[in-house]
Parts: sequence; C-alpha cells; structure tokens
Amino acid sequence: MSSNRIMTVSRAISEAIAQEMRADPTVFIMGEDIGTYGGIFGATTGLLAEFGKERVRDTPISETGFIGAGVGAAMAGMRPIVELMFVDFFGVCMDAIYNLAAKNIYFSGGNYKVPMVIMTATGGGYSDAGQHSQTLHATFAHLPGLKVVAPSNAYDAKGLMISAIRDDSPVMFMFHKGLQGLAWMASPEGAASELPEEAYAIPFGEAKVVRPGKDVTIVSLSMMVHRSLDAAEELATQGIEAEVIDLRTIVPLDRKKVIESVRKTGRLVVVDEDYKSFGLTGEIIATVAEEDPTLLKAAPQRLAVPDVPIPYSRPMEQYVLPSADKIVAAVLTTMKKGA
Amino acid sequence: MADITIAPDLWDANINPEGIIANWFYADGSTVAAGATIAELMVEKTTFDIAAPSAGILHIAVPKDGAVKPGTVIGTIDAA
Amino acid sequence: MPTKSQLLWMYEIMEKARYYEDTMAAAYMEGKSPKFDIGAGPLPGEMHLAAGQEPCAAAVCVHLRADDTVTATHRPHHAAIAKGVDLKKMTAEIFGKATGLGGGRGGHMHLLDPAVNFVCSGIIGEGAGPAVGAALAAKLKGSDAIAVSYIGEGAANQGGVHEALNLAALWKLPVVFIIEDNGWGISVPKSASTAVADNSVRAAGYGIPGSHVADNDTLTLFDLAEQAVNRARRGDGPTLIEVETYRYYGHFQGDPELYRPKGEVAALKAKDPIARLRRQIIGQGVTEEEANEALSKAKREVDEAFAFARAAAYPAPGDALTRVFA
Repeated sequence: MSSNRIMTVSRAISEAIAQEMRADPTVFIMGEDIGTYGGIFGATTGLLAEFGKERVRDTPISETGFIGAGVGAAMAGMRPIVELMFVDFFGVCMDAIYNLAAKNIYFSGGNYKVPMVIMTATGGGYSDAGQHSQTLHATFAHLPGLKVVAPSNAYDAKGLMISAIRDDSPVMFMFHKGLQGLAWMASPEGAASELPEEAYAIPFGEAKVVRPGKDVTIVSLSMMVHRSLDAAEELATQGIEAEVIDLRTIVPLDRKKVIESVRKTGRLVVVDEDYKSFGLTGEIIATVAEEDPTLLKAAPQRLAVPDVPIPYSRPMEQYVLPSADKIVAAVLTTMKKGA
Repeated sequence: MADITIAPDLWDANINPEGIIANWFYADGSTVAAGATIAELMVEKTTFDIAAPSAGILHIAVPKDGAVKPGTVIGTIDAA
Repeated sequence: MPTKSQLLWMYEIMEKARYYEDTMAAAYMEGKSPKFDIGAGPLPGEMHLAAGQEPCAAAVCVHLRADDTVTATHRPHHAAIAKGVDLKKMTAEIFGKATGLGGGRGGHMHLLDPAVNFVCSGIIGEGAGPAVGAALAAKLKGSDAIAVSYIGEGAANQGGVHEALNLAALWKLPVVFIIEDNGWGISVPKSASTAVADNSVRAAGYGIPGSHVADNDTLTLFDLAEQAVNRARRGDGPTLIEVETYRYYGHFQGDPELYRPKGEVAALKAKDPIARLRRQIIGQGVTEEEANEALSKAKREVDEAFAFARAAAYPAPGDALTRVFA
C-alpha cells in the first residue's frame, strides 16, 4: 500500500488520457508536437511510447485540417483528442471548432454525436506577449454547442479530462500553462495535488467551494483560483473571511452555487485572466443580478485583463494581470459600502 | 535502505554540468512502491523520470529546485 | 466499364436529382412573388440547386457503400440523393419540419444522415477536413471504408482544403477529393479565382494522382472514380479528381446572374448530361421501357418526398433549445 502521489497538472492530464486510451481503443490523440515531444506543455507525456504512432499522431501545422479531421473522426465513431497548441491559435481554425464541432449534433437533431476533446493551453504571466498569452474562456463559452472546462489543479484536471473524453459532445479543455507544473515555468503551490491511481470522472457543471467564508464571495477559475486563495489568506489576517469558488467548468456553468454563496455573503468579486469586457466576469455578475439584485449589499467588483492586448514587458504585463493584491483591494472596496 | 541515485550516464555533464529536481511526486515520509515514478529531474529543457529503486519510506535529500549532477544521491528509501 | 445495372442506377439517380432540383426551384418561389422576399414562403432562406451537376454525384456514389462517408457542400441535394439519404426526411428537413433529418434545426445546407454517413455544411471547403477524419477513423478501425470530399472549384483555393490534401497524402488515407468545377464561384469565373486552369495539376503538389474530367461526362468520371475508390480501399491513399460540370441555376435561387454571359446556360442545356447518358445506356443494353420505368420511379419518389414534407408538422418552437449536446 503506498501513499498518494502528488502529481503535477501536466502529468494528471497525461495520465487521464493514458487511462482512457487503455480502456477504449477508439480514443486517439493528434496535434503538433504531441508525440516525441510529449506536448509543448507536457500534456501528452509518455503517450507515444505506450500507444505508438497510429494512436498518437504528430500533425503538420494544419489546424483547420486536423481539427476538421477530428470532427470527422468523432462523427465516424472514434473519440479523438486534438491539441490546439496555444488557445491563441484558434484564429486559424475556428470554423472547424465553432461551426462544425459545435453545431453538428444540433444540425442532425441529435442523430450524430461529436465525442471530441480539443485541449489547449491558456494563460500568460511569463512574457510571451499578445499572441501567446491569452486565456479566451469567454470566446469559447459564448458560442453554443461547446462544453468548456478549465481546471485549477491536478486532481480536477484528471477527473475533468476523463469526463471530457467520455462525453459525447465536443469539449474545450483549457489548461493554464502556468499550472502545468513544468520545470521551466513556475507554478503555484496548490496546482499539484494528491492524485488517485484509479480513473475517476468529475461531472461538469459543479463548481467547488475551495475555501468557505461568510464575508465575501470570490468567484474564479483556473490560475486565478490560486491568486484568490492567496488573497483570502491575506484577508483572513485582516479579519475578513472570503469564500472562494472554483468554477471548474464554464459550460455548463454552476450558477446555482454562485447565487447560493452570494445569498450568504452579500458581496461579490469575480476574477478572470481573460479580457474584461463582454466576458466571464460580466456573466457571473449578470447571473446574480438576474436572480435578485438585492442579494448584493454593495456593487460587485471584477478583475480581469483590461481590454488591451497583453503586453510583453514584464512591468506592463504584471500591471494588466489580476493579482492577489488587486483581489484584496477589490474585496476591501466591496466591503466598504453597506452593512 | 536504498539510495536514490541519479544515474551517472543519464546525461552528458560536459555539455550540461547540472540539472535540477523539477518535482517530487511524494511527500517526505510517504510510502512508495518499487518502480513508482517519484521525482522528475530537468536538464535544460529535457525531463527525466526518477523511479523508486525499492519499496519503503521516502526520505528526500535534495528538495525541489535543488541542483544535481550525474551520480548525486537525491534521497533514500527505508524498508517499511 | 459499368455494368447494365450500374448504368441504370446512375441514370435513375440523375433523373431523380434533376427532377428534385426543378421541383425545389418551383416550390422555393411559392410565397416569394411578386416580391422576392427571401424569408417568405414554405422554403425560406437560401437555396443552392445542383441541376446540371448530377454526373458528379452519380458517377462517384455508384462505387460507394453505406459505410463510406461523403462530405458535401452548400449545394448538396444531388450528392445526398446519390448517397442514399432518406428522401422524405431530407425534404422534410429542407421544409423545416419536425420529421426532418435534424428536426428542422439544420435546413438545406446542413443535411446530416448517419444511416448512410452523409454530411454537408455551408462553409466553403469545410468538408475536406472531416472527410480526412472519417478516412482516418476507418484506417484506425481496420475497415476498408473510404471517404469522399466534394468541394467546388472556388473552395479549391481555401487553405483548409490544402491542409486536408496534404494530411490525406501524408498519412495515406482513403479519401477521394472531387472538385465540382461549375465555372463560377458565385459571380467570379474560375479564370479570375484560380492560378491554374485545371485543379488536377495541384495533386502533384501533394504527391497524389490527379485527373480531370472534361465536359461533365458521366462515363469518363465513372472510370476515374472507380480507380480512385479502389486505390483508396486498397490502402494506397488519396486521389484528386476535378470535374468540369454545369450549373444550370444561379448560385442561389434569386440570383439574377447578371454576370453570366447570355446564352451560356442554354448552350449547356443543349448538351445535357442526362440526355447524353440516356442515349448511351440505351445503346449499351438498357431498353427504352427500363429507362422510362426508372424515370417514373424517380419522379414518384420525389413527388412522395415533397408531399411528405409539405404535410409534415413544424417542430414545437421550444425544440429550438434542445439537442444542442449529445
């Protein structure tokens, strides 16, 4: 009998894929550098060695081609996992994602399934500049027909990836580069977690209260969960107990858990690494306002990247990204007014 | 008691004298199985998995981000 | 060389497709005159008819099985008919009825029938990638099923199509790419869109065989398609075939076609491929009676399909919210 391993997110994802590939011969994976290299962000480590190049296929730089092929293979009875190396690259292949993968179930009245996972790396903070640092949660969540998943830790990453592979609908699995636990990119302490050996599936549409509290609700996802938890620790020293909610999946979205929490605390701060306007932070606030604006004792606060391309230079990039300090400040702002 | 040793020929130290421990996958004091992947080591941008040479209780000698050379003993495993 | 039953099959399919498109053209105009309001009548929206392009469908699909996949374009009816899509469900879908292939959710450009592995879509070139994927699935499953990707000559300049060609060639996948060159990308003639006069030369760029069919000839395409399908089934990889075909109607119904030279359509109709095939099959052992019977049967099926569609009920409005996810 051995203790539980503490695994990085990248290994959790690779393990989830490997376990499903062992159990189901229709699962296969393709993408750029996912074979020998193991994925630029380590998400496919060890798969080529175990499963061989028929099922683990390095592709040419042809996103429209291979993501379109993923759709066709999914509709022909396979369960493809396709890696879009950086989410920022969606521009060259979005048609295959939002017009094909996302809509063919609907167009066929449910007669076809599209059991495809598109996994993609998001996030910045390491000076990769405007075309390699985006998060784009809302871009995919906004378009009907895609499920959208963004784990904050290894345990969730494994369980959500297994659910994604087993899902008969197309799933965007958005993993933050800075959470992967790669040796060459720092990751927060809480990203790696105890990881059970066996395969387990985490259902979509269930947000998690990762830190209970009575004074303010902080809603977040992905990397920003860790910033929120850091902020919550600091706030506790100031006598403020923050409740931190990790959304885990954006589509489907657990609106109920958010509303329940705000009903209890009366104050709301939403943190997202994506661009601010027309996105996730607005959606969470709208969810509460539509339910009952009187739940809020003070104006809600949102932290996101301001509506600018993500800058390269470190001081500028750090300026635009939400941080624990900024979250603390936002909480203090929303605590100032009202009871 | 078994040493967890970085294999002397794992990489060419003339090109890269040092690597670093990128991650430990078990906490100090955990029970590990023989052959389990217990750590990963990074040399430049290549990673190597380090397996437990035997079953037992892990004692970590070189923590995460610590530097290692070929032949470094990064920890030990006591028979449980 | 086609057998007698293949000749008769192709003839019947082409007559069925032609009659279908002509019937659709008339039905489309219901409620749209005197004022052409695109949203009015029992067939609102766009309509892209393939009259004149029947050989592309019949001479290829004659070689296919139900487990072969066909991905088609925004001008899909002839290919759907040739692939064996349920005609009543297809027509009901085009009429937006609840008993349509997609319950009315897809309409004329989004006809999907898993029973015969037929899908089409409205974005140019979009079917090429999925055809490659279906071929890949067949290969991974150890099946000798193949995929056919229909694209237009306009689509042949779309980036994703080139990606699909390279991928199919690289991985030696069982795909047959059929370019239906009807000469017009809406109003832009091929000479103004394409750097080469004949797309089959592009096959060399991918290291695969390419061939060209002149003047919409059914029997020439029959032979080339047979070779390509067999090549794919053997595991020898993809083929590209461009067919010079005719577009009798406008790009969409309601297209005034001011860009089209006067007399062009009349000249094409004078060498109609169905009339041509009929003369050929009578000469190769099919009797007039058999041909007439095939024609009657074709028309009957189309009439029944349209009657079914017209009589069918519309979906409940709230059905719009369903069947988004599997």
